[in-house]
Amino acid sequence: MAEKKKGRLTKVLDYLKHDDPFSKGVAFCPGCGLELLLRFIPRVLGNDIVITGTPSCSAPVLLGQNNQSWHTLSYFGTLMTGAAANATGLVRYYRKAGIDNTVVCFNGDGTANDIGFGNLSGAAERNEPFIYICYDNEGYMNTGIQKSGTTPFGATTTTTPYGTVSRGKNLRRMNLGLKMAMNKIPYTATATLSDLDDLARKLLKAKEAKERGFCFLHVFAPCPTGWGADPADTIEICRQAVKTNYFPLWEAENGRIRMTKTVKKPKPVNTYTKLMKKFNHMTEADHVILQDDVDYEYCLLGGLSVLEAECQLPVSVKDQGETS
Amino acid sequence: MSSNRYFKHQGPWSDAADPLMCTDTGDWRTKRPVVDKEKCIFCGFCAIYCPIGVMVMQGDTHFEADLDFCKGCGICAKECPKGAIIMISEGEFVS
Repeated sequence: MAEKKKGRLTKVLDYLKHDDPFSKGVAFCPGCGLELLLRFIPRVLGNDIVITGTPSCSAPVLLGQNNQSWHTLSYFGTLMTGAAANATGLVRYYRKAGIDNTVVCFNGDGTANDIGFGNLSGAAERNEPFIYICYDNEGYMNTGIQKSGTTPFGATTTTTPYGTVSRGKNLRRMNLGLKMAMNKIPYTATATLSDLDDLARKLLKAKEAKERGFCFLHVFAPCPTGWGADPADTIEICRQAVKTNYFPLWEAENGRIRMTKTVKKPKPVNTYTKLMKKFNHMTEADHVILQDDVDYEYCLLGGLSVLEAECQLPVSVKDQGETS
Repeated sequence: MSSNRYFKHQGPWSDAADPLMCTDTGDWRTKRPVVDKEKCIFCGFCAIYCPIGVMVMQGDTHFEADLDFCKGCGICAKECPKGAIIMISEGEFVS
C-alpha cells in the first residue's frame, strides 16, 4: 500500500482552503445538490462571509431551529419579497461602519426569478457590492414542488401535473442568467455542480468583482426528491445538462459574455430528460419543442459571445463598463 | 470554532459556545458505500462530490466514508472513475 499514487488528487481540493462551518448531520435530503453547494461556498470564500437568505430549502438549516444553529456562519433571514433589498441594507451598513466584508445573498430560483425579482433587478441597477447566488432547482421544492418561472417546458410539478387536461408545464422557462447579464453588472456567471473547478473559480472571481459592484451567480442544483431522480444521479444530471447545452456554462464581465465551457458535439436533450421522472410522459413532439428552446437559447448566447468579442465598442462605452 | 472576526457577540437568543445541532443522518441510510482499497487511485472525486463531505482521507492511500453521517445517496459510487466504491444493502451488515 505504501507505493500509492500521490499527486493525483483532484485540483478542486486546493480551492477548499477553509473549514466546513456546518455540522456533519444536516437535515437535507440524500443526494441534495443544494447541500453540496452550501458546504462548498464558505469553504472557498472563507468562513467570515455573511449570508442572507429567504424561506427556501436552505432556510431550515441556515436559520437554525429554536435557539441553536446548524453552522457557525452569520446569517440574516429575510422575506422572499425583499431578499436583495435587505442585503443592500447590510452592505451599506458595513460600508458606513468601515467593515470590509462579503455579503452573500443565497436564494432559490423562486425568490430570484419570481417573487424577489423586483429588488434583485433594483440592486443590479444600483450596482450594490454584494454577491447574489441563485441555486436553480427549477421549482418551489420546499413548499411541495410547485412550478416556478425557471421550470422547463414539459416538466411535471404539483401545479402542472400530467393528466388528461394538463401535460406538464406548457410554457418555456426563463433565462435568469441572461437577464442579469444584460444589466451590465460587473460579474454574471452560470455554474453547475459537476464542474466544481469552474464553480470555485467563478466564486473567487465574484469575490474580486464585488469590489466593483453587483455579482450574480446562477447555479444549477438538481433536486432528486422533486424531480423524481435517483439521488446517486445528482452529479450526472448536472453533467448531462451541460453536455446537452440545456444549461450552458458562461460568464459575463460588464455584460461581455464568454463561454467557459463549449461542448463540441452537443447531445440531444433526451439524454438529459431520461434521467428523471418529471419528463417521463414527454413524447417525441414534446422533445422537439424542448430541444428547439434549448437550441434557441444556446444560439442566442453563442451569438452574443461572438458579438461581444468581435464588435468594436465605442471607447466611452468601454470606459464606462470598466469603471462602473 | 467560529472564525468570524466581525461579530464579538451573538444575539441574546443564541450562544456561540453551544454545540452545533446535529442529526443522526447515518440512520437514514439503506445502502452503505464500501471502498475497495486496491482499486482506489486516490483521486478524491468521491470526497469533492459527496454532498455531506463525509469521505475522509485515510493517510494517502484511500478514502473511507464516515458512517455516522453518510446518508447513503450513492453519489460517490456513481462518480468513482475506477468503480472502487460499491453500495451494499444495510441488511447485509445486520448480525
